[in-house]
Amino acid sequence: MLNVQNVHKSYQVGRTTYEVLKGISLSIGKGEFVAVMGPSGSGKTTLLNCISCYIPVDQGQITLDSRPLAELGEDQLAEVRNRKLGFVFQDFLLLDGLTVRENILLPAIIGGGAGKAAEDRADRLCQVFGIRPIQDKYPAEISGGEKQRTAVARALINEPLLILADEPTGNLDSRSSRAVIDAFRQARDTLGATIFMVTHDSFAASFCDRVILLRDGTVEQVLEKGADSRTDFQDCLLDAVRRMGRE
Amino acid sequence: MTTFSQLYARLRRKDWRQYALLAGCCFFSVLLLTAYVCMMRSPTILSVLPEGGDSRKQVMMIFALTVIGCGVFTLYASGLFFRQKSRQLGLFLALGATRRQVAGALTRELALLALVSCGAGALLGAPLAWGIWQVFRAAVVDTQEMALTFDSRAYLLALGFSLFVLGALLLLGRRSIRRTNIMDIVQESHQSEPIRRVPRWYGPVGILLLIAGGALGYGMPTFFIQVLRWYPPDGLGAVFYLPALAGLYMILLHTVVNGWRRKRNQYKNLIATSMMQFQGRQTVRNMLVMTVLVAGAYFASFYIPMLGAGAALGYETRPVDYAYHWRADQDLPQRQETEELAGAYGVTITRWVQTPAAVLGVDGIAHLETEGALGVTYTEEYRPLLTSAVFLSESAYNALTRQNLDLAPGTIAGIVDDDGSGNGMFGGEATRLTNMVTGQVLEVTPAEPLCYTMLFGRFVLDDGDYERITQGLTDRWRENQVFFNVADCDGSYEFAKALFHTIVARSGPEVEQFDAYDQVEEILACQAGEPYPYARENLASAGYEVIDYDQMDSSSFRLAWKYMPQFRVLDQTDFVKTMAVYLMLFVFIAIVCFAAVFVIAFTRCMTLAFTSAEVYENLRRLGASRAYLCQSVRGQVRRVFCTPALVGTSLIYAFYAMILYFNGDPAGITAGEGAGLAACLGVIAGVSLLLYGVYRLTLRKACQVTIDGA
Repeated sequence: MLNVQNVHKSYQVGRTTYEVLKGISLSIGKGEFVAVMGPSGSGKTTLLNCISCYIPVDQGQITLDSRPLAELGEDQLAEVRNRKLGFVFQDFLLLDGLTVRENILLPAIIGGGAGKAAEDRADRLCQVFGIRPIQDKYPAEISGGEKQRTAVARALINEPLLILADEPTGNLDSRSSRAVIDAFRQARDTLGATIFMVTHDSFAASFCDRVILLRDGTVEQVLEKGADSRTDFQDCLLDAVRRMGRE
Repeated sequence: MTTFSQLYARLRRKDWRQYALLAGCCFFSVLLLTAYVCMMRSPTILSVLPEGGDSRKQVMMIFALTVIGCGVFTLYASGLFFRQKSRQLGLFLALGATRRQVAGALTRELALLALVSCGAGALLGAPLAWGIWQVFRAAVVDTQEMALTFDSRAYLLALGFSLFVLGALLLLGRRSIRRTNIMDIVQESHQSEPIRRVPRWYGPVGILLLIAGGALGYGMPTFFIQVLRWYPPDGLGAVFYLPALAGLYMILLHTVVNGWRRKRNQYKNLIATSMMQFQGRQTVRNMLVMTVLVAGAYFASFYIPMLGAGAALGYETRPVDYAYHWRADQDLPQRQETEELAGAYGVTITRWVQTPAAVLGVDGIAHLETEGALGVTYTEEYRPLLTSAVFLSESAYNALTRQNLDLAPGTIAGIVDDDGSGNGMFGGEATRLTNMVTGQVLEVTPAEPLCYTMLFGRFVLDDGDYERITQGLTDRWRENQVFFNVADCDGSYEFAKALFHTIVARSGPEVEQFDAYDQVEEILACQAGEPYPYARENLASAGYEVIDYDQMDSSSFRLAWKYMPQFRVLDQTDFVKTMAVYLMLFVFIAIVCFAAVFVIAFTRCMTLAFTSAEVYENLRRLGASRAYLCQSVRGQVRRVFCTPALVGTSLIYAFYAMILYFNGDPAGITAGEGAGLAACLGVIAGVSLLLYGVYRLTLRKACQVTIDGA
C-alpha cells in the first residue's frame, strides 16, 4: 500500500548541504502496524514528513495506493493528506478553540465531508477510544492521554489508508502511552487501520508487527515480531538499539 | 459547524483577543496618522506656517517619523498575529486543506479587518483632531485664527496608509502559508527569534555613529550652501542623519543583548536578560521606533518652552516699554496726541524720545541663482546698490539708548542684538550708502557692531555724515523712531491696545507691507523688469501671508507687518494669542507622538508578558518566589520603557542644544536660549512623570498576566 523506493532528501543550511535520507526503501502492507526507530538525526521525522507530503523528496519515489506522490499537484497532495492519510503528532496539535468532538471532525470539515455520516463516525470513534464522556470538553480541560486518543480518533475520521504517527507517546506518561498504543491496536483490529509510527520508545515499538531501524539516513535493520511475545520483542529491540549505539 | 468557513468563523470568535489586538493596532495607527495629517493639511495651519519655513519643515519631519513609527508598529502587530495564527493555519494544511482554501479564508478576514479598523481610524481621525483642538480653544486660548477647517485631500494620505496596512496584511498572510515544509508553519509560533551574537564594540561604535550622524546631518546642508554654493534638494540633508539611525540601532541592540554594566553579578538579571535576547529583532525594532517617536515628541514639545521662555525673557529685559517707528509721510500720533490718549486711559508717560531716521540704499553681495541639473547653485556678485537699511545719526542713537557713542567720520556701525548676534540675518556691514533721491554716494568703513535688540538691523552714522547723506531725502525715505516709558507698564494694556489700533488706523496703504519688503529692492526689480515677490500684490502668489490692516490682531499681521510697534505689555499679554496656532499645533503633535509611544510600549510589554507566561509558570514550579518573578518581569518592562525614553530624551535634548549653540552668530547659547533649555527640562520632568505612570500601570498588568495568569 505504501512503497518508498530509494528516497533521498537533503537540507541546505547556509553553504552546507546535509543529506538526511540516503536512498531509503521500504514498503508497508494494508493492516500493518510498523514502527521506525533510530537515534536522533537518523532521518526518522524527515522520512515521515516526506511520506506525509509535507516536504518533497529530492530523489526516489513514494507511492501510496499505487499513486506516485511526486506526480501529484498541490491540490491533489492536499486531498491525499485529507482523504488517504491520518496524522498523529507528538504534541497532539489539537485546536484549543474546538471541543474534543469538533477536533475529531476537523479533517472531515476541511475536506467538505462533514455531515451526519461523519458525525456518526465521530461518535463511534469517541466510543471506541473511551473519550465519549469528554467529547464536549476543550483540550485545555483534558489529560495528555485523552488528548492523544482524541488525536488518534481525528486521524481516523476520514477512514484513511494509512495513519502516520510522529512520536505519539513522546509527551506522555507510561499509563497514557499504553492507552494510546492500545488505541492504535484497536484501530487496526477493529477498523482495519494501517499505522506507520516514528518512535524512540521501545515499549511502544514492541507492540508493532515490524520495526525498521534507521541510522544515518539508511535502513540499518528490519525486525519482525513474528511469533515472539511482546516482552521478547522488546528485549530484541533493546539489544538492536544497544548494538547500534556501540558501533 | 459543517463547513470550513463556519469552522474558521468559530475559531475567529474564540481567538478574538488576537484579532482585537491586530485591529486595535491598525485602528490606532490610522487614527493617529489621520488626526495628524488632517491637522497638518488644515488650511488653518497652513495659513499660519510659512511655506518653506522651519516650522513647516519640523511638522513634516515629525510627521515622517510618525508614519515610519506607525508603519513599523503595524508590521510588528501583523507579524505577531501571524505568528500566533501559524499553528492553526499549519494544522489546516497538515490535515489536508489546500493553500488556496486557507488563503481564501485568510484574505477575506484580513481584508475585512483592515477595512473596518482602518476605516474606523480614518473616520474618527478628524473628529479626534477637532476634539483636541476644541479642548485647546476652551481651556488654553481661543482666537479667530484658531477656527479649525479641514482639507478633504488630507484623507488621501490616510487612505494611502490604510492601503499600506491592507497590503502588508495580505502579503504577510500569504507569506505565512507559503513555506515549503508545512511543519515549519505549524512550529512557527514555538520558534524564538534569537539575534546574532552582538560584539561589545557595538555600544561605543553606535555612540560614535550617532554623534557623527547628528553632526553630518546638521552640518552638511550648511557645507553645501556655504562652501559648494549649492542648495541641495529637500530631503538630501536627511540622508546624512542615517548613520545616526544606524548608531541608535547598534546602541539599542547592545543594550538589549549585552547591557552596559560589567557583569559583576551576572545571575541577578539572568532571566530578564536572556528572555529579552530571545525576543530579538522585534524588540530592538520596537525600541528604535519608540526612541525616534520620543525624540520627535520632545522636539515638538520643546517648541513652546523655547519660544515662551525666550520671548518672556526678551520682553522682560527690554530697556523701554514702548517703541514704534513710522515713515515720515504717514500721519501717526506724536507726543502730544499720545500723551492725551495715555491720559484717557489713566497712564502716565515718564520718558519720551523721538528721533529721525533715514532709509538709504546700501551695497552688498548678491546671490545669483542658477537652475541646473543637480538643483540650484549660486554665485556671488558685488552690487554697489543692492538693498536698503534704516540709518540713525549717532546723536539719535545716543538719545534713544542713553549711551555715549562717538563714531569717527566715514565709519558705520550696524546694530545687532543684545547678545551680539546677527541671528544669521544681519551682518552689520555696508561700505557704500546711496541717497535714493539725490543719488549722492557715501563710502564708509564698517566699525565694531553695536548691541541693542530694540534697534536690530539698523545702522548708525557719524552726525556729520548723516547730515550730508540724508540731505534732499523726501518723506518717503525718512522715518521717525519713538521710545517711551510709562509709570505702570503692566497696567497699561488697554492704552497699548488703543495706541496700536490708532497707529494701524492712521497708516496708509503704502506702508501696508510685509516685513521683508524693501523699497530699493522693489525699484531694482522694476528696473530689471522682474516681479518683486514682497510687493503687496505679489505676496499671495509668492506664498506669503498678505498683510491686511483688517487683520491687525492676527498672528500673521503682528509677526510680519513691517512697522509693527514693540509694546512690552501688549506683546506679553497677547503672546499666547498671537502664537496660539503655532503653540497648539506643536502641543497636538507632541500628544500624538507620546500617545503612540505609550501604546507601542504597552503593547510590546504585554506581548512580552504573554509569550513569557509559560516560562514564568515553569520558574514558579521550580520554586521562584513572587518577588523574584516580579523583579524579572520588571527587568524586561523597564528595558522596553526606559531605554527608548532615556536615549530619545537625552538625544533630542543634546541635539536641540547643539542646534541652538551653532545657530548663534557667533556660536553660543544666549540668555533667552538658556532660559528655554531650562524650561525644556521642566517639560522633560513632566513627561517623564507621565511615562512613569504608564510604566507602573503596564508593569502591574504584565505581572498579572505572567505571574497571576490573569
